[in-house]
Formats: sequence, structure tokens, C-alpha cells
Amino acid sequence: MNSFYFDWSGVLTGSPAAWLVAGLVNTILITLTGTVVASLLAIVLLLGRTSSANYARYPVQAIIMAFRNTPLLVQLFFWYFAVYPALPEWFRDWVIADHWFSPLPSGFRCLSPEFVCACLGLSWFTGAFLAEELRAGLKAVPAAQSEAALTQGFSHWKTFRYILLPQAMRNAWQPIVGQYLNLMKLSSLASGIGFAEIIYSTREIESFNAHAIEAYAVGTLLYLILGLLMGQLFVFFGPGQIKRNTVAARVASSGWLRRLSFLS
Amino acid sequence: MNFDLSVINDNWSYLLFGRTADGEIGGLLLTILMSLSAGLLALIFGILTAVISWRFQGWTRRLLYSGAEFIRSIPLILVIFWLYFLLPRFLGRNISGVTTVILSIAWFSAASVMHATLSGIEALSFGQVEAGLASGMSYWQVLRHILLPQAVPNLIPSYVGLFVALIKDTSLALVVNVPELTTVANQVNSRTQIYPAEIFLFIGVIYFVICTVLSELPRVLLKRSNQRLKFANGI
Repeated sequence: MNSFYFDWSGVLTGSPAAWLVAGLVNTILITLTGTVVASLLAIVLLLGRTSSANYARYPVQAIIMAFRNTPLLVQLFFWYFAVYPALPEWFRDWVIADHWFSPLPSGFRCLSPEFVCACLGLSWFTGAFLAEELRAGLKAVPAAQSEAALTQGFSHWKTFRYILLPQAMRNAWQPIVGQYLNLMKLSSLASGIGFAEIIYSTREIESFNAHAIEAYAVGTLLYLILGLLMGQLFVFFGPGQIKRNTVAARVASSGWLRRLSFLS
Repeated sequence: MNFDLSVINDNWSYLLFGRTADGEIGGLLLTILMSLSAGLLALIFGILTAVISWRFQGWTRRLLYSGAEFIRSIPLILVIFWLYFLLPRFLGRNISGVTTVILSIAWFSAASVMHATLSGIEALSFGQVEAGLASGMSYWQVLRHILLPQAVPNLIPSYVGLFVALIKDTSLALVVNVPELTTVANQVNSRTQIYPAEIFLFIGVIYFVICTVLSELPRVLLKRSNQRLKFANGI
């Protein structure tokens, strides 16, 4: 076995360090935008997928299947090579124009055609998976819930928004978090279309000064930290266990003295 | 967008078989072969590690769990890069890109197979283990003759789901330039330049058909076996 010589200064100083920082910023940016857009898409897809109208349900089902059953890399290539050039010219001009926010240190950009395509690809892919997870969560909500809401005078949309969706999200929270974490990890595939995220930076370093192992070690560490942070955030802001802190629960669990003080 | 299918007409055999005729397997054929070998390896190692962590709880299990956790929490693309750089150094000789990708994907998927198998085994009531042990069977015999024969049929749908994910993951072989379906499609696209929609839709449809058929298969089979069961029971 050969011995390894580690030279961390080749990765953690100068322009390699700046590339890694820019890559990290881009990974975080694509994860945030992808998460938001994927969630919105997932809700639209879920509404179509659970609609009672055949003309809405079948096409949406086909769309979800198409995005779930093809590799993300192929989808990214499709967005990048086939769809993006067909977008309106003013939009493409706006994307490549110099904005105050677009340059990152070291010549990378955050808003670029690659960013737009990575965002589209990741959002549709994750959105399709999220819609199916939410549908599974929705199935576990008793039908009486929506019946009760409708008899209370909730509209269909409000029943979905305030009664069904929160419960579906709570039921499917674990797999949903898994999908969001997956989105962060899969953003690494966007380096395949030249989006300047962490993996792209490590490959730049590799061809710049051949410190491949050190660069991959730093990249691995960054992904581990990002995943850990994201997981913690989702647990912290997630619905968690059913809270025992509602008034009804307090009344049910309290003794007569507490009940009296509650009434007074 | 007008479709010009002549590009598919000119390149379909390259897309499907790569340079197989010249002795270098490629295209869809390589994708299928890589998926099958990686899937087999992942199944064997996944079940093996599940069995080990079922039998030796404590530190052995914790070690296997953290290995699986680590591999699942970094992107597959990094696993491929790591093996691509480290395997030749450790083994002291060159490893082909195909082998690297197969091993990476197998390792990556084995972690999920392990978790699925373990939860399948532990879903069975513990009384079965106790009964087996009380009848004088060893732990391995309990596993071999009582637990696995019950757990594995229930696990087939989740194994198939993992296999479908694995097929899609083989497209990542592009990053080390292994000529499987996605890579050759990318090559054809770079050469022809003006037919990206046709090329990527074509290979998208290929992946879609394979993955959809596979993922619908267990449901159809299950339905049919349920019907047969109902028929046999006279319902």
C-alpha cells in the first residue's frame, strides 16, 4: 500500500478555498430554493393526484410516474440541453445578465443557466416523490376528518389546507425529511451540467493542483455537516409528537382542582 | 419543438449496445449488466450484514449501523470518487471504471438492504425465536429455517423498490466515464448538438419502461397470488 501525503494547504488556502466556499454557498442556495419550489410543486401535484376528476388525476399520475421512474441525471440533461434553450429570450438574458447578487468569490456565479436547470430538475424530481409521500400520509387521515370539516362549513380548499394537509404532513414527516435531505445530496448531480456546487469545486481543485483526496475529504465533511444540520432543523421545526399541551388535553389530564381553576 | 427521429434512427444501436461489437460492452446492455451485478452484490451483502447485526447486537451492530449511516449521508457521486481514487492505491493495480461503479452502487444499496431486511426480521414476533431456541435449534438454524423464509417474501416489494433506485443510480457512472446508457447518450448529444430533446427523451423512455415494469411487478404478482388464494379458499 502506498503512503499518502496530505497537504491540506493545497485545499484550504488561496483560490481552492474560495472555490470550496463558493461551492458551499451554491449548494446551500440550490437546497433552499429547491426545497421551496419542490414543496409548492408537491402540493399542486398532490391536489391533482387526489382530485376526483379523471382529466386531472390521470395526467398528474403520469407526470409523477415519469419523474419518479427516470434517473435525475437524465432529467437534468433534458432540462439543460432541451428545455432551457427553448425558454423565452428575455428570461435567458436576465439570467446571464450581471446582477449585484450573482458574482461569488473566485469567479463562480450563483444565478446562472445551470442554476435554473438544477433548480427545475431537483424540484420536479423531489416534488414528485414528495407528492407520493404526502398521498400516503393523506391516506392515513380518517375520512371523518374531512366530513366533519365540510359539515362545519369549511370550503374544500380550507379543509385541505387546515385539516388534511397538516395531518398528512405529520403522518409522513419522516419520509418527507428524507426526501429533503435527498434533495441536498442529489444537488451534487448538478455538477454534471456544470453547476458550480461542492462537487464541481472539488473537481476544479483536482485539475488545478491534483489534491483530489484532500478535496474529496473536505467535500465529504461538508455534506455530512450539511445533512446533520438539516436533519436537526427539520426535527426542530417539524410537527414532532402529538403535543399534550392543548386545552383539551390539559383538561383531560388534570385533576379537579386544576379544572376548577381553568373554569374560573 | 419539432422532433427529428432520424438521430435515433442513426444511433439506436450505439445507444443500446455501445461498442459491444468491438469487445467493449456499452449502452443499455452495460446498464443492465451493471444493475444486475450491483443488485446481486447489494442483496448478498445487505442480507449478510443484517443477519450479523441481528445475531451480534451491541458494538458489532453499532459499527455496521454507523457504516450504513455514513454511506447513506454522503452523495453517491462522492462514494464513486472515493473508490475510484482509493481502490487502485489499496490494491496496487488499476481497477476498471465499471468495477468501481458496481462496487460503489452495491455498497450504497447494501446499506438500505440491510435496514430493510433487519426491520423485516424484527417485525416477526420474538416468540418464534424463543420457540426455535427452546426446541434445541441454534441461532443460525432459527434464522435459516424460521425467520428468513418468513421475512424474505414480505421484503420482496421493498427489495424491488431498492433495485429500481439502483438502476437509476447507474446513470452516475457518467462521472467516471463508463459508457453506459446515460454516458453514451451524452456522447451522442455532444456529437450531434441539435437533437437533445429526442436523445434524452428516448433514453428517458427506456429507463421509464424498465423501472415502471419492475416497480409495478410485485403489486401485480401480489394481486394475482391473493386472487389465487381467495380462489383456493373458495371465497
